[in-house]
Amino acid sequence: MVRVAILRFPGTWSERDFEHALSLAGPAGSDSSEILWHADADLRGFDAAIVPGGFAYGDYVRAGAIARLSPAVKELRRFAAEGGPVLGSCNGFQILCEAGLLPGALTRNTGLEFRCDWVRMRVESDATPFTRGLRGDLLRMPIAHGEGRWVADQATVERVEREGLVVFRYVDGRGAATLEANPNGSLNNIAGLRNAAGNVVGLMPHPERCSEALLGGTDGLKVLRSLVGAVGTEPALVSA
Amino acid sequence: MRFTATIHVRPKPEVRDPQGEAILGALNSLGLGVASVRTGKEFVVTFDAPDEAAARAATDTMGRELLANPVLEDPTVELEQIR
Repeated sequence: MVRVAILRFPGTWSERDFEHALSLAGPAGSDSSEILWHADADLRGFDAAIVPGGFAYGDYVRAGAIARLSPAVKELRRFAAEGGPVLGSCNGFQILCEAGLLPGALTRNTGLEFRCDWVRMRVESDATPFTRGLRGDLLRMPIAHGEGRWVADQATVERVEREGLVVFRYVDGRGAATLEANPNGSLNNIAGLRNAAGNVVGLMPHPERCSEALLGGTDGLKVLRSLVGAVGTEPALVSA
Repeated sequence: MRFTATIHVRPKPEVRDPQGEAILGALNSLGLGVASVRTGKEFVVTFDAPDEAAARAATDTMGRELLANPVLEDPTVELEQIR
């Protein structure tokens, strides 16, 4: 049994999609994900936590800025510090950066467009519960965001590259990180990052929206299956 | 004592501001010869504090914890005692 907490803030919109996608990721009957309201989220007893996409608090001030001060993020900090796997997608990635759980920040796309499209990414790190055995794979996933340009100061950019914290990088069909393959102007074509310990991962694309063939792709399922395998076969990282 | 703080938040000089670039193009379509536009936000916050030093410290916290992201933005504060 794998228990995954999916956080819901006012304005979150991808929590049910994640709940559905997780039900497809493991053997039948093995999934027990639960959507938790941000104001009183208690992550004790959960194997992993997901911060889904949407517009938490309407993206007021900045995407993720108000969510950062929510009780759920305080609880998420505790859970992550104890080694619990945390995945943030889209607005969830923005929230994890705002919370300081991941480096840098996400801001307005260059190119003046809200991008709603499919992108290709190369998996650059398998040192996370979400990308086990996937290093080097090219994944195709949908994006839908207006503020997905990852930025940081030069020292931070150099550090994330040197320490292998880049997990997903936008690439073209041949695996090259070109300007054309970058949908939003992210520095170094960065689509997703991990923390130093590897248990916290954020990415702008939506794994939950490409987890069955009907939706045009199943690469998202690889990420969720990696998680289910990681927490299902090893002793729980977080005490109940 | 009651204070009003006007907190301006602007992108750091090295952070590209696509919104400012779009506005620049639109203003120049009016034939105005604009050289540069940087966008920002303004927050007007009214609050109580025991003295000016405490009020100043409170505005620092507001900027750091919520109104500006230190990776992207710099806040500047105008503080006024209103009673």
